Amino acid sequence: MSDFYLIYKNMTRKPLRLFLTCFAIFIAFLIYGAVTTLKGALDAGVDLAADNRLMVVNRINFTVPLPISYFRKVAAMDGVKNVTHANWFGGYYQDPKKQLVVMAVDPESYLRVYPEVVVKPEQKKSWLRDRQGILVGEKLAKIYGWKVGDKIPVSSNIFSQKNGGHTWDFVIDGIFTGNTEQYDTGYMVFHYKYFQETQSFGGDNIGWLVLTTEDPSLNEKVAKKIDTTFANSAFETDTSTEKAFSKAFIEQIGNIGLIIFGVVFMAFFTILVVVGNTMALAVRERTGEIAVLKTLGFSSARIFKMVLLESLLIALVGGLAGLGAAKLLIEGAKTAMAQFLSNLVMGGDIVVQAVGYMLLLGLVTGLLPAVNALRLNIVTAFNRAGV
Amino acid sequence: MGSLFSQIATVTVMNVRSLPRRLWMSLAMVLASAVVVAILLAFLAMAKGFETTMNSAGSDGVAMLMREGAAAELNSVVTRDQVSLVEDLPGIASDAKGPIVSPELYVIVDGTKKSTGTDANIPLRGLDAAGMALRGNVQLTRGRSFRPGTNELIVGEGVLREFDGFDVGSEVRFGKNTWKVVGAFSTGGNVFESELWADAKVIQSHYNRGSSFQTIRVRLQQPGNVEPLQKAIAADPRLNLDVQTEKAYFAGQGKQLQYMAIFGRVISFIMALGALAGALNTMYTSVADRAKEIATLRALGFSNLSAFCGTIAEALVLAITGGLLGSIAAYLFFDGLNASTLGGSFTQVVFRFEMSPELFVQGAVLALVIGFASGFFPAWRAARLPVIVAFRNGA
Repeated sequence: MSDFYLIYKNMTRKPLRLFLTCFAIFIAFLIYGAVTTLKGALDAGVDLAADNRLMVVNRINFTVPLPISYFRKVAAMDGVKNVTHANWFGGYYQDPKKQLVVMAVDPESYLRVYPEVVVKPEQKKSWLRDRQGILVGEKLAKIYGWKVGDKIPVSSNIFSQKNGGHTWDFVIDGIFTGNTEQYDTGYMVFHYKYFQETQSFGGDNIGWLVLTTEDPSLNEKVAKKIDTTFANSAFETDTSTEKAFSKAFIEQIGNIGLIIFGVVFMAFFTILVVVGNTMALAVRERTGEIAVLKTLGFSSARIFKMVLLESLLIALVGGLAGLGAAKLLIEGAKTAMAQFLSNLVMGGDIVVQAVGYMLLLGLVTGLLPAVNALRLNIVTAFNRAGV
Repeated sequence: MGSLFSQIATVTVMNVRSLPRRLWMSLAMVLASAVVVAILLAFLAMAKGFETTMNSAGSDGVAMLMREGAAAELNSVVTRDQVSLVEDLPGIASDAKGPIVSPELYVIVDGTKKSTGTDANIPLRGLDAAGMALRGNVQLTRGRSFRPGTNELIVGEGVLREFDGFDVGSEVRFGKNTWKVVGAFSTGGNVFESELWADAKVIQSHYNRGSSFQTIRVRLQQPGNVEPLQKAIAADPRLNLDVQTEKAYFAGQGKQLQYMAIFGRVISFIMALGALAGALNTMYTSVADRAKEIATLRALGFSNLSAFCGTIAEALVLAITGGLLGSIAAYLFFDGLNASTLGGSFTQVVFRFEMSPELFVQGAVLALVIGFASGFFPAWRAARLPVIVAFRNGA
């Protein structure tokens, strides 16, 4: 009779209990997997930020515009490798409630500053040539079923055309992908020149500047240079690294995120405590049997190993199933929520962490009863069980 | 043997009094229900607080006019000429000074959050006396109101709570301009308390807005009735404006956080399932532990029903204790907790978690459900198990 057979028999002796225990662990890890992935998606902007990329925004607030003249001035500064500018377009497609991330950019420099954006060479060429062309992210194109060559009307809830309308017609010249899976391709960009010529107000304003420095070590110097250059002008700037900027933006969503994650993790650990308690009790119930095994000549170490393996097995079965379900859930949610959170990816680190918690759960719940079993004195055990 | 009731009472009392003997199991059960109740209450309190902040802001008696297609105040533009045209439209209430119309500006400035020390968006609203009068419940809590034509502003109580550096008397700098905080106002806890207010004309000049505004608010002759306004606007091609009541506008803006509340409910429901499984397990183990005791009682002549009820009562007592602990914890941690998040207009909405009595009722109901569900099946089993089997197994 192998040890595994015994472990299996022990585990399945009360199928209902096994099921309930596994189910509770399943739920705990389902939520753990889903929520940490969600958190990872929220933080992705911070993690993916390039080290040498800086954002220049208006000191008052990043929604307040800057004059276009800053673009040339910043480009001429020492230590600046590439610089581009962008305007928030406030775009939507057909339904004003469904906002799209659309930006008016300076095409060539944009692609230089964002090497994450991968476009096929011929598509890139035709977009750069075509003033009314738009470059669409793969994710966005998938949601609306757009293909290269499609003509799409995009409306703005901020700007209006010179002819009074709010809708611009674009031709999709290219569809870009990201250089990593995490890169969010849920947006689109078009020519600033076309925007400038057709809008009825807004003039020569740009939303913000993005630049890359020659080397990350120059970041601070360059940022300081830019901010002092424009200090005491009508448009003061605030320059920060892309990382810091994204982080500040995430934090605007606020302590709500923190509270939710706090609450969920608290619940996660409590479920583990409750489950762990029952698992430990289940072993303690078997004191008499363990004494019998010892009498039969099973070594203490062997029994210790068996008890520990059993609780580890239960934790892993429930936990891995839960993690798998979380993965399925996320795949489902990915398409449904693509507009809000496009980079829902369950990374390897999340899986490793979750498995770590499963092992911890198995060890902690198994260890105490296992040690008890190890130390068990046969005579006392029989006495106790016999009462 | 007494009546059925006294039997049930006896078994219940016996079970409850023997709880300390099964300390760990009892604690696990209490913990499980406490957590589920606390999670549910936390999410509900958040949703409730946000809802109160948004809902009480929107008045039915006030209509908002924004540029066609603009989804939020931030995106709208209205010209001075349009404001003059609107003043002559039907359906607008008047007072001694004429129709009550408030053209308003809305720009976003940065403030430093107390909790994180990071910058966040705060709306700076430009309005005049008519605009303040339009919001019926404005109260100056400190200082005085701003003087038109000066760099003075007044600050909402919500901003004071969540952000640093806006104390009355202090000076704040946005870009090149320095503003003096001369007063603080309360609007009864609604979303306007997350704003800074200053003179519209001063903001126009500081932010290169020329003579344009962003929204026009008007007092309606008949609350909720925007139809005459709508008709008049549709008839005039110079007015490409959308009209809606302020209430409708804020209800739309509040949608975002409602998703958060739904998310919360789903999470607490799923968590509840997990905790329920844990609780069920605990009760099964607890009952199995005492199979012999229960069998003894039944052998003594206690009815099956009384054994059943006794076990259920035990589970209920544990779950309710847990629910109570969970509610207290949620109340201590979350009630009145200040929070802020990005609202529909891309600015911070400051609100408080709000734990109202009906939330406690929901928590209590949940605890009862957990107690009942986790007690029912083990109790059923205990009551049905043949006495002989129980004795044999227990030996």
